[in-house]
Amino acid sequence: MKILQNLFAKGGIVVGAPVAGSLVSIKEVSDPTFGEEILGKGVAIIPSANQICAPVDGKVATAFPTGHAVAVVGNDGMEILIHVGLDTVKLNGEHFTIHVQEGQEVKKGDLLLEADLEQIKAAGYDIITPVVICNSDEFTEIQAEAPKTVAPGDDIIKLRK
Amino acid sequence: MKEFQYVIQDPVGLHARPAGLLVKQVGGFQSKVTVACNGKSADAKKLIMLMSLGIKQGMEVTCQIEGEDEEAAAEALQKFFQENL
Repeated sequence: MKILQNLFAKGGIVVGAPVAGSLVSIKEVSDPTFGEEILGKGVAIIPSANQICAPVDGKVATAFPTGHAVAVVGNDGMEILIHVGLDTVKLNGEHFTIHVQEGQEVKKGDLLLEADLEQIKAAGYDIITPVVICNSDEFTEIQAEAPKTVAPGDDIIKLRK
Repeated sequence: MKEFQYVIQDPVGLHARPAGLLVKQVGGFQSKVTVACNGKSADAKKLIMLMSLGIKQGMEVTCQIEGEDEEAAAEALQKFFQENL
């Protein structure tokens, strides 16, 4: 562990949890687009709160009108996609309220969107929320934190250019 | 350079999953691939750019492929759009 700590001591970039919940391996996600890391490396959170917040300081790159996903480009260049639940694009915006616009600057912890998790679950959807680095190949190291309970802003991914 | 047009059939448009698959498909070729729609265009190797085009059902996209393997890439991509979008 000491080697890893040293590795990230200099030039390490940290991504915070966008939502409270249980952090799990991305491999736990049943949708292969995420579980097989087709969209990039990352983690997943089983959320326990409805508020999805900015994981880093940066800019909103994509705010889907359906509110089910949002992409933030961090000031350090990482492109972070937060996809709330699986297949939730099919809800067509129902149970989601998006609070940001494309191009908007955000600070870590700012509210991006709200998801009514109980309603989404009741509609038959898995609420597991993948958080992936879409431009993974631009980083030499991407380290997912081990499974744990997280509060918004807690470290979930560490990166190195 | 090769170019083709395609009208999106998928009811939810070019959302995260097909966009990711498209990036993966394009990554297998050396050619530069540009997807244009709605007055905006994006490098098809950049997922975030693709998603920000906001491509929805019924929209026509123009795909431009330029490079040494453009022939094969254009063929594969045309097939990809037909099968996935």
